[in-house]
Amino acid sequence: MTASTDTTADRERAPTLEPIDWEVVASERDAHRARVTARSLVTAACFLGLLAAWAFDHVARASHEPFLTLATGVAFLGEDGVLTASPSHVDWLFGLTLLVGVRYALVPLWENPRLTRYYWRRIARNRLGVYSLYFLAGVFLVGLIGPLVLGDPEPQWDLGHTPPVGFGGTFAHPLGTTRNGEGILEIVVAGARVSMQVGLIATTISIGLATVVGTTAAFVGGRVDDLLMRGVDLLMTFPTLFFILFLVYIYGGNLFVLVLILAFTTWGGQARLIRSEALQRREEAYIDAARAAGGGPWYVIRRHVVPNVSNTVVTGATLLIPIVILFEAVVAFLGFGDPSVWSWGRIIADGRESLASAWWVSTIPGLVLFLTVLAFNFLGDALRDALDPRHEVNRGR
Amino acid sequence: MTDDSLLSIRDLRAQFHTDEGVVRAVDGVSFDVGRGETVCLVGESGSGKTVTAESITRLLATPPGRIVGGEIRFDGTDVTSMAEDELRTIRGSRIAHVFQNPQGSLNPVYSVGAQIGEAIRAHRRVSRRHARARAIDLLESVGIPDPAARVDDYPHEFSTGQKQRVAIAMALACDPDLLIADEPTTALDVTVQADILDLLASLQAERGMSILLVTHDLGVVARLADRVVVLYAGTVLERADVVDLFERPAHPYTRALLECLPGVDGEVEPIGGTLPSPIDPPDGCRFAPRCPHAIEECHAGGRPPPSTVGDDHVASCLGYHREYRGAIDLERHPTAEETQRVSDRPDAGIDGGGPR
Amino acid sequence: MAWFVGRRLVWALFATFLVVTLTFALLAASPNPETSQAAWQAAQDGSDPEEARALVDQQHGAGDSLTTQYVSYMVSMFSLDWGQSTTYNEDVTSVIANAWVYSAITVIPATIIAVVVGFGIGLYSATHQYTTADYAATLVAFFGVSIPNFWFAIVLMLVFGELLGLTPISYDSEVPFWSLEHLSYLVLPITVLATAAVASEMRYARAEALEYVSATWTKTARAKGLSETAVTIRHVFRPATVPLVTILVADLVGIIFATAYVVEVIFGIPGLGYVSYQALVRMDTPLVLATTLIPVFVTIVANLCQDLAYTVLDPRIDYEGRSP
Repeated sequence: MTASTDTTADRERAPTLEPIDWEVVASERDAHRARVTARSLVTAACFLGLLAAWAFDHVARASHEPFLTLATGVAFLGEDGVLTASPSHVDWLFGLTLLVGVRYALVPLWENPRLTRYYWRRIARNRLGVYSLYFLAGVFLVGLIGPLVLGDPEPQWDLGHTPPVGFGGTFAHPLGTTRNGEGILEIVVAGARVSMQVGLIATTISIGLATVVGTTAAFVGGRVDDLLMRGVDLLMTFPTLFFILFLVYIYGGNLFVLVLILAFTTWGGQARLIRSEALQRREEAYIDAARAAGGGPWYVIRRHVVPNVSNTVVTGATLLIPIVILFEAVVAFLGFGDPSVWSWGRIIADGRESLASAWWVSTIPGLVLFLTVLAFNFLGDALRDALDPRHEVNRGR
Repeated sequence: MTDDSLLSIRDLRAQFHTDEGVVRAVDGVSFDVGRGETVCLVGESGSGKTVTAESITRLLATPPGRIVGGEIRFDGTDVTSMAEDELRTIRGSRIAHVFQNPQGSLNPVYSVGAQIGEAIRAHRRVSRRHARARAIDLLESVGIPDPAARVDDYPHEFSTGQKQRVAIAMALACDPDLLIADEPTTALDVTVQADILDLLASLQAERGMSILLVTHDLGVVARLADRVVVLYAGTVLERADVVDLFERPAHPYTRALLECLPGVDGEVEPIGGTLPSPIDPPDGCRFAPRCPHAIEECHAGGRPPPSTVGDDHVASCLGYHREYRGAIDLERHPTAEETQRVSDRPDAGIDGGGPR
Repeated sequence: MAWFVGRRLVWALFATFLVVTLTFALLAASPNPETSQAAWQAAQDGSDPEEARALVDQQHGAGDSLTTQYVSYMVSMFSLDWGQSTTYNEDVTSVIANAWVYSAITVIPATIIAVVVGFGIGLYSATHQYTTADYAATLVAFFGVSIPNFWFAIVLMLVFGELLGLTPISYDSEVPFWSLEHLSYLVLPITVLATAAVASEMRYARAEALEYVSATWTKTARAKGLSETAVTIRHVFRPATVPLVTILVADLVGIIFATAYVVEVIFGIPGLGYVSYQALVRMDTPLVLATTLIPVFVTIVANLCQDLAYTVLDPRIDYEGRSP
């Protein structure tokens, strides 16, 4: 490589190659392999740990006692400073989703700080996107921690409707109460958890399905492609909401089932998108190179196709989350949701009866839902601009 | 040049607003196009030749582009101050354009006959049937075989070369006085390129129109041009008669360009470095950072004024300026060391790019 | 072209067949329906679960083999013998026949508004990129697609119905059908329906039109001396209709049907969405099935129309190669 900077006068002199110390290369390679192995082990341990905890939770312990009791000594936390957790199936699945998120999103970002900074700079050009990210991080943390701190909404039958602070209410119930005296704040916080859980879990499953189907169809091609895409066509002839309601009718509206239904009914569009993206990638030289180097089809899909469609996947996922959240809210609003869970849709429906006398019951949770969905859409748009080079054309020159 | 020239451009300046800053794509360009004459605008990509060509009928996308100064006189009237409506009566009727990419310059959802007819009916009050008949004539005159049958075909049913012929037919629809052809052959196969150039030459001979040809290809220049304008980084470096330019190139840049042509003396000599930044162009001569003859004075002050070096032959180089004539020896072949110095200059490596 | 249309037609029929089969499979294979329905009952506090179960069995021909059940199910579905609705004590087909018009009076105006206004604003935005109007339209569109339709409906009811008293709060089917008064009942529902659809169509129209705003042929058209209006309509909008049509149906069906469902339930308009809701609440399986399948059939027909429109709009279409 040094040859190119030589002057024309030195052309005759043979270029010298930098000697390679193969021992150093080998040791670096070994170190890298060790790191990769260690990471795989840690990942596997985390997943196994989660599985074991779930198994213990559902087999070993009696259902009425909490899974985890944590005496914090801080009086206002939980009941007399004792935090208890009794995770449901959905909570466990949420844990799994978060673990997947950490392993396949945060860890790679952490390990490639340069790339992370590059993407961040590109996203940061869209201020609305950045504010949305902060807002959503807030909603996420509130949903994760809030219910532990505030506890479940407790009815106070004698209290009845009380307005929010600033409209004649008290700080005991800053956002007012329902007809049954349940605090709107507690309900909104509980609803934040439900929305985040539904949004993240269902989207993860849905995008996972879409990625598998999309890349497989594109890469295997032929009959498999035809069959898979015809299946997607068929799935997409069902107007999604009607399909969801029909499945809820058959299988019931328990949150765990609803999450699976939402995941199963929403992956079609993304699968198409990922397929077309992967089809373009398939033509590129590095795929041929990987094949020529002896990579089997699954290896090539996993190592070369999937990472290169990941921008599409990330953007698609971000824009799918608000759709899923809205579907869950609609199902809950119509009264087909899980009656044991405080969803934003459910509280909005509850407030309808007393709309004129207690406007805050419907409007406040609705506003939070609206802002959450809006923030996801802004963030998705910012991500698309930042990650999808094809949209460059339309950006400012 | 003369007062009766068809098109006369004086000190044209056009800019683009970008996230990185204001791109001075055209920075003081002057030249003339006489009646019945073919003038070639030559330059590397990013030299501002397309922006110049599109400024003439103000086709420049605004925003982000904007003409910020100078004068464009077409047949005696200033185009830059013309109202949009007035301008429209000139576009397509007196000044027509042919663009580089024939694939994209035809709308895929209309038949070619409809698109040619559209150009006619934009300026002449004629019936659809009449326009169609004229479209068939035009297709025939640009050498589309069996035009009566092909007039209702869609663009995708034509080959790339034929599409360019259709685009030329469309441009000729209202017998323009000036045809502006922006790299009309760049996107075509080599064999087809020659056909299109021959077509342009014969059409000009038939109709006596002027042609402003934008190109980076000196082969095209040699084939068609009467006169040549050499652009570099938004400025004119040399203007000359075509024979003069090839026989006696005056500006070091023009000489370097000719050196790049294969087959002159066997050895192809690339020009070191790249175009300067169009956002923050260097002081003095724009070519100085890449010029092997440049002296201290070339890097400072304003741009070198045009000096007359022959009959209707002008070069903007201090080497021809009275004060510096002795200091710069343009005839000396640069040594290898000087060439090296040029490509090592830090500002020579900035990627100019220009508006995309 | 005939071959292409024929193929699309065959696919539409095949898709219909598959969808009906799928619903049968879902109903037949639902895991332990008694339990899930009992859970439903607990949640919904409605009629006797066994009764509902018996009705399903009755329709499917209880006790028969799966194949016999399947055949009789398919035969009755395709001969429009969709059974009795327990909710309305009527044939399912006549319930549908009475209800569809109430859906049409909101869905059709909203669709027209969505297409005209949405495309109009989108086109304006695209041809005036980076202007204040463009930013404003884009921002409003974000709000439009993000606002939860059911909540929007409630807020509109609260503001215009309860606080300002400008519009009636819930639908009254006693109102004469062809009257201004009837229109006042429909203003809010149509507004809710149109908002999301306009916003969505606007975004698509803007994105597609932008592809062509900077196309060389628009520059050619300008160079020919066409007016900006002619350039926008003939050379930006017309080519954009080709990709737009392929999005239009799926998008409008997705948004408008889903919103209509919610809107009908909230405002009490006795259209198909309302009927479907009643059927779901009352475990009226034949009616649930019908109200689920009808939107699917409408979608299949709409997709077919979309494909036909595509052949008219795009001269480049390759009838052999394009995957449906």
